[in-house]
Amino acid sequence: MRWLFLTLAGPTLWAVMFSIVYALHGVVCAGVAGPEGLGLGARWMLIVVWVLGLAAFVPLYRALPHGGELTHYLPRLGVWIGLAATAFTLFPVVFVTSC
Amino acid sequence: MTDITSFDAAEDRATTNSIPRNPPQRALHLHRELGRVWANDKGFWGQITAVSHTTLGLRFMATAFVFFAIGGILSMLIRAQLATHQGAFLDTEIYNQIFTMHGSIMMFLFAIPMLEGLAIWLLPKMLGTRDMAFPRLTSLGYWCYLFGGLIMLTALLFGVAPRDGWFMYTPLASAVHSPGINADVWLLGVTFVEISAIAAAVEITVTILRQRAPGMKLTEMPLFAWYMLGTSAMMLVGFPPLIAGSVLLELERAFGWPFFDPTRGGDPLLWQHLFWLFGHPEVYIIFLPAAGVMSMIIPVMCRTKILGYGAIVAAVLGLVFLSFGLWVHHMFTVGIPHMALAFFSAASVLVAVPTAVQVFAWIGTMWKGQPQLHLPMYHILGFFLTFVMGGLTGVMLAIVPFNWQAHDTAFVTAHLHYVLIGGFVFPMMAAVTYWMPLITGRRRIKGLGETAFWVIVVGFHGTFFIMHLTGLMGMPRRIDIYPDNPEWVWLNLTSSIFSFVLTIGFAMFALDLLLQIFLGKRESRDPWEAPTLDWAMPLPSPNYNYASLPTLRDLDKPARDVILPLARGEGALPGAPRGRREFLVTRAINAEPDHVAILPGNTALPLVLSASIGVFVLLMLASLYLLAAFALLPVAALIWVWVRAMAPSGDLRPIEIAPGTSLPVHHHARQSLAQSGLNALLVADGTLFASLIFGLAFLSVVTQGPAAPPAGAHTMASLVALGVIGVVMMIAAWIATGVGRGTAQLGVVLNIVALVVLTWLALTQMDDPTVHARDALRAAVAGYVALHVIVAAGMAAFVADQYRRGEITAQIHGGYPGWRKWQSFTTATTLIAIAILLAQVFA
Repeated sequence: MRWLFLTLAGPTLWAVMFSIVYALHGVVCAGVAGPEGLGLGARWMLIVVWVLGLAAFVPLYRALPHGGELTHYLPRLGVWIGLAATAFTLFPVVFVTSC
Repeated sequence: MTDITSFDAAEDRATTNSIPRNPPQRALHLHRELGRVWANDKGFWGQITAVSHTTLGLRFMATAFVFFAIGGILSMLIRAQLATHQGAFLDTEIYNQIFTMHGSIMMFLFAIPMLEGLAIWLLPKMLGTRDMAFPRLTSLGYWCYLFGGLIMLTALLFGVAPRDGWFMYTPLASAVHSPGINADVWLLGVTFVEISAIAAAVEITVTILRQRAPGMKLTEMPLFAWYMLGTSAMMLVGFPPLIAGSVLLELERAFGWPFFDPTRGGDPLLWQHLFWLFGHPEVYIIFLPAAGVMSMIIPVMCRTKILGYGAIVAAVLGLVFLSFGLWVHHMFTVGIPHMALAFFSAASVLVAVPTAVQVFAWIGTMWKGQPQLHLPMYHILGFFLTFVMGGLTGVMLAIVPFNWQAHDTAFVTAHLHYVLIGGFVFPMMAAVTYWMPLITGRRRIKGLGETAFWVIVVGFHGTFFIMHLTGLMGMPRRIDIYPDNPEWVWLNLTSSIFSFVLTIGFAMFALDLLLQIFLGKRESRDPWEAPTLDWAMPLPSPNYNYASLPTLRDLDKPARDVILPLARGEGALPGAPRGRREFLVTRAINAEPDHVAILPGNTALPLVLSASIGVFVLLMLASLYLLAAFALLPVAALIWVWVRAMAPSGDLRPIEIAPGTSLPVHHHARQSLAQSGLNALLVADGTLFASLIFGLAFLSVVTQGPAAPPAGAHTMASLVALGVIGVVMMIAAWIATGVGRGTAQLGVVLNIVALVVLTWLALTQMDDPTVHARDALRAAVAGYVALHVIVAAGMAAFVADQYRRGEITAQIHGGYPGWRKWQSFTTATTLIAIAILLAQVFA
């Protein structure tokens, strides 16, 4: 079953990043971080978190087994799926959304 | 001989490469021997008691076809009503029931059971085994499906069918706005049918992971199995939110617990979230098996191998994940936050990528091969034409501003029919025409099927392409009359005319199948010259599939090269010399042989159990709630009988599957199929719990309704009671890690103590659940915990009984591992529920 977990690691990281960004967005818009809501500072914070999330895929990718077999290839493809999903779906969230 | 009698001998077990050939035997002798053991009983009783995957898979599909025909007739009534602008064919009440039932039948009584039936019938043949993991569960699933469907159909005949649309939005479906039992029929009927879906998902998962032919690695199995593995995983995670939502809405309607009532702290959007958390993955649950069919048929029709196996598997994994990040795109118009709009819009566009990967892989396969235009290929081309158009309009609808314009118009009706008929019905027709020789052993009569295809294509596009236009012109869906707008009138009339053409096409398709069944000539073995194991058997396929089971050396050969060796018993585990139903169980990733499973024979128990559940459903519909509670007693008793029937008996010595190679029977196995099944079930159960917690969080954080009244008696006594429950459950989980009769008896006592304290807490300390949604959801979570504690007590009692009977020994663990796992799960969910409750109290 370990192999299945490795294969799902990439998409799972996407789900984690979504949860983090969604939660931060909610906290910011609830005024917890300050009265200005989603101002420049908060937006930069979201962008930094997003970039850190993208960067987190690098060690994950490096930690996975490398080789030509499908058992090695699929977990790495899973990371690419997670990376693309994180980049594409969270990009509009951190750059253009408002409260 | 390698003799294996205990867990400790696992290292010595047979490995894939070491399974030698059995000496050839007379094929007819093996056929008769297996036939005696695996055949259904004779006559009508034989149909009642059948548990064979071949019989039940076909029965699932045949029943789904009947429901498809009924749903189709309802759609004709809808089109007859809409043919003219002031149609008087149906009154509004009946029209509402008909369009609701059309959608509900097509989604819950046709599409899902059809894919279940195909998987149940096909997977064991394709994976090289003799049956699904849990044959009685297959049968139970079928009867639940049939009875649930009949309840819904009967309601239609009596004019009390659901009428609030197939997604049953609140507050329209609430008791205030939808009095009577109409909505209850949907909520209880669909939940009844979903027992079948969860059962199928559990056994599909286990069958794929644990029953592949020895040597068939996970990464080398047929693509259909990959698609079904993704589908079953989605069903395990996708259906529980619907079940949770249905239970909550039924509780609201029956007992006034206001989960979705905004005047008492509830929120109709909670229903929408729970429904679409199921509803959008549902689209992919329907599409993935169809795509699996495509991936199997196209290479055979094009005389080549599939292009991009790894890319397709990755695309399946991507779709499985992404499909759970899309549900909100059904809710773009309800006023959700800007952030959610951005995310779900982007995710909805992104999901086109893995879909496109598959489409390009199929096109590439056709490009490099030599396509032959047999009838299945016609339907595959129909898929390409139709589904790609539906996918493109899907991308349009993923764009928020366009969605706001097109929402709830006929454009959406057109889109969903392009996706569902293109993405499911055409591939299913390809599947049926492709595997029909294996089902009937007969050859089709050429001509009618091809004509039917063209009539269907013309009828379908004539009906639904036009609906894009009516939708863009602003015509809403689900209306029974419309203004005398010249732009709408002729389009609707045209749609209606072509819809009858479409119906004629489907009738011709059905006639073609009937002609093949009754008049077709006998087909030769492996008529398509396919490479997969499903064709390496006689036509029509016998109940047992293989006289001996394929091993590694059979996997790389064309089906026709392994038919005879397997029929002569040269594979593993030949015949049925012990007079029992047996097959090999392998390990999940590398398919090393692990043990031999002994299956139960024909039995009416699944029918009786599903009928008992049906009595419970009917009593609920009749609002006889006290009697309904009592109706659960026979259900519990039958489950006890069901599990008792699995007790070890007879010869439990290791079985020689090939010369010099023996494997233990499943009673001695460390990781039995039942264990794997319980793992899958707990995934679904955990999702159900998470759905309730999601509801609690949603109402606490998002909903802007009236504030909850001050919490009632949150006394020191209630805090102590919560602490007692938590501690008792932790002790129960801890003692369940030990072994012994006394341990199990103590487990019963501890669970009963937890239940008593929980009941006291609910009756004396918790706030009235009818006053505010927050308290209603707390009560629902408490009910969930109580139900699990009762089951844990029952399992502990069962294990204690097994110890008393001497059925658990150092070698045989019986029901003990299952109880241990369930107890741990129950303890974990109980502690989470307590932690959330305390967090709410002290926040």
